[in-house]
Amino acid sequence: MQISMKNRTGYFGDYGGQFIPEILKPALRELETAYTKLKKDQHFQQRFRNELRDYAGRPTPLYYAENLTHHYGRGKIYLKREDLNHTGAHKINNAIGQILIAQAMQKTRIIAETGAGQHGVATATVAARAGLECCIYMGAEDMQRQFPNVQRMRLLGARVRSVDSGTATLKDATNEALRDWLVNVGTTHYIIGSVVGPHPFPTIVRDFQKIIGEETYRQIFEKEQRLPDYIIACVGGGSNAIGIFTPFLKEPSVNLIGVEAAGKGLDSGKHAATLGRGSVGIFHGMKTYILQNKDGQIQLPYSLSAGLDYPGVGPEHSFLYDSKRVDYHSVTDAEALSAVRQLCRLEGIIPALESAHALAFLNYLMPQTAQNDIIVVNLSGRGDKDMSTYINHLCQPQGELS
Amino acid sequence: MSQKLTRLLERYKQQHRKCLSLFVTAGFPERDATVDIICQAADEGIDFIELGVPFSDPVADGPVIQRASQRALANGIGLQDVLEMVTDIRRSTEIPIILMGYLNPFHVMGMDAFFTRAKTAGVDGLIIPDWPLEESQSCQAQLQAADLDLIHLIAPNTPPARIREINHISSAFIYCVAYTGVTGQDNHPTPEAIKFFDFLNCTLTHPWIIGFGVKTRQDFRLYTQYSDGVIIGSAFIALLEQTPLHSRKSAVRTFITGLR
Repeated sequence: MQISMKNRTGYFGDYGGQFIPEILKPALRELETAYTKLKKDQHFQQRFRNELRDYAGRPTPLYYAENLTHHYGRGKIYLKREDLNHTGAHKINNAIGQILIAQAMQKTRIIAETGAGQHGVATATVAARAGLECCIYMGAEDMQRQFPNVQRMRLLGARVRSVDSGTATLKDATNEALRDWLVNVGTTHYIIGSVVGPHPFPTIVRDFQKIIGEETYRQIFEKEQRLPDYIIACVGGGSNAIGIFTPFLKEPSVNLIGVEAAGKGLDSGKHAATLGRGSVGIFHGMKTYILQNKDGQIQLPYSLSAGLDYPGVGPEHSFLYDSKRVDYHSVTDAEALSAVRQLCRLEGIIPALESAHALAFLNYLMPQTAQNDIIVVNLSGRGDKDMSTYINHLCQPQGELS
Repeated sequence: MSQKLTRLLERYKQQHRKCLSLFVTAGFPERDATVDIICQAADEGIDFIELGVPFSDPVADGPVIQRASQRALANGIGLQDVLEMVTDIRRSTEIPIILMGYLNPFHVMGMDAFFTRAKTAGVDGLIIPDWPLEESQSCQAQLQAADLDLIHLIAPNTPPARIREINHISSAFIYCVAYTGVTGQDNHPTPEAIKFFDFLNCTLTHPWIIGFGVKTRQDFRLYTQYSDGVIIGSAFIALLEQTPLHSRKSAVRTFITGLR
């Protein structure tokens, strides 16, 4: 399949662009210029790879989940263990890459938004190491449900600023981070946490995350001497999904599946299924699918998972959705929670609630697979941060985890 | 191009009169407050109105206008309601009206449909802060056909070559943001800002008006030493927010007459 990715700078088909206030234009141009140069700089690329290896702990294993496979009685399920990265999720890949750009641009201050707190922790981590001032914006609601990550960011020396506006979740944290950037545009680099926002962010974050797919590609050939048949990843903004999908986009035999958060159900009105139920709009600097009402106001998304609770999606996903190269589905909170329990019991791995959405889709996919199909699930993060949610939702009346 | 705005600004330039304009969030503080506020502002000598279309995620705005936007949305205001307000206002006054809004609500109505309806309602121009040059270019012809001025923004960090480019495609006037930041911050122009304003006077061929952080008579006098006028937003919204309905009319009068 031939996919024409860009017909205009900063666009994936019809999606993307730079819908931002004029004040940010010079900063985005500076970033684009710096990144274009660094991308071709062997020294920079080598340093990025070295840091991923020595600091983040890459490559992450591609693990054959034998018990999970036996549970479904068919196929062969592999887990890409992004949960084993330093700081507990794939987010560190992007944070390492972007801090190197920030240093090359001689910025003295770092800001970021965070939902589940994984990107905030990753950013606080690399900022601490670079000796840069760091301010993380996080919705008040998310601070409550992901409290261990708030404590981690503070321990790492970041300021965590609580955002009370709107729904007090990821979208509002992103608004506040953008406002901070408008004020401090000269000194500050904004490390966006997903493949969202104005150009060149969706491309930069994709480039730093595609290491997930590159490793998977190599590892599956080492283990199986062939391409996988299915790759599944959860999609909020969509960075772990783009990361694992990218090297496989040119392989038409590989079925790529993105799983959005259906919250309390697609028909409940309480979900974050942007591609499943959204429509095209302009939000956070990009043209993409968003959740909105008939007047073009952004609608409140809902997911128990703070990392998927976002009313937009990366513009490249919108393009891949329209072009049908990737199939997008969704699973509910309850399905994700039962996938958490299943992976804990069968494989001894506590997954992040976000990643559990990808795992939960196995219930739909496996009955349709052939006996010898190979399935890769991107296990984008670990579940430590979700313990309070798991205790609340997976608890028996007598107080024991079921 | 809307001749009305251009002619007004040209006349002022000849008379050495500085332009004083107000930003008002449509449907704030109450759903039906806006028409009265604007008609009164026109009577009190305000030169043009920037009418804010409420949006759920106004990233370029500070807390005061964010709150006003939220309240207007809670009052049930959509783009269609804003256009109806303009139609109502046009029964009483010809004061130029520029709609200020984030792109998405316009995009959802459909840009062509929006331009037509805005013009029919009596809108003269548009300010869309998240629609920079590169993205708005494709709609130039439609804007011209609809006879609407798209007012472009520049900021102290906009590079000189880009300022010339914006000047080249602009009509009516150019909106200069006083500082890099969001609306309603406390601000006093730095020596660099003043150098920037001087540069604008040497470079721009259109009138230019300063907004962001302009709050008082002192600000009006200070900024109009350089520019052709100012837009006052957050300070006026804060006044509306703090004033009870029964004394609004006199408070608005005192505020406006105290500015010039």
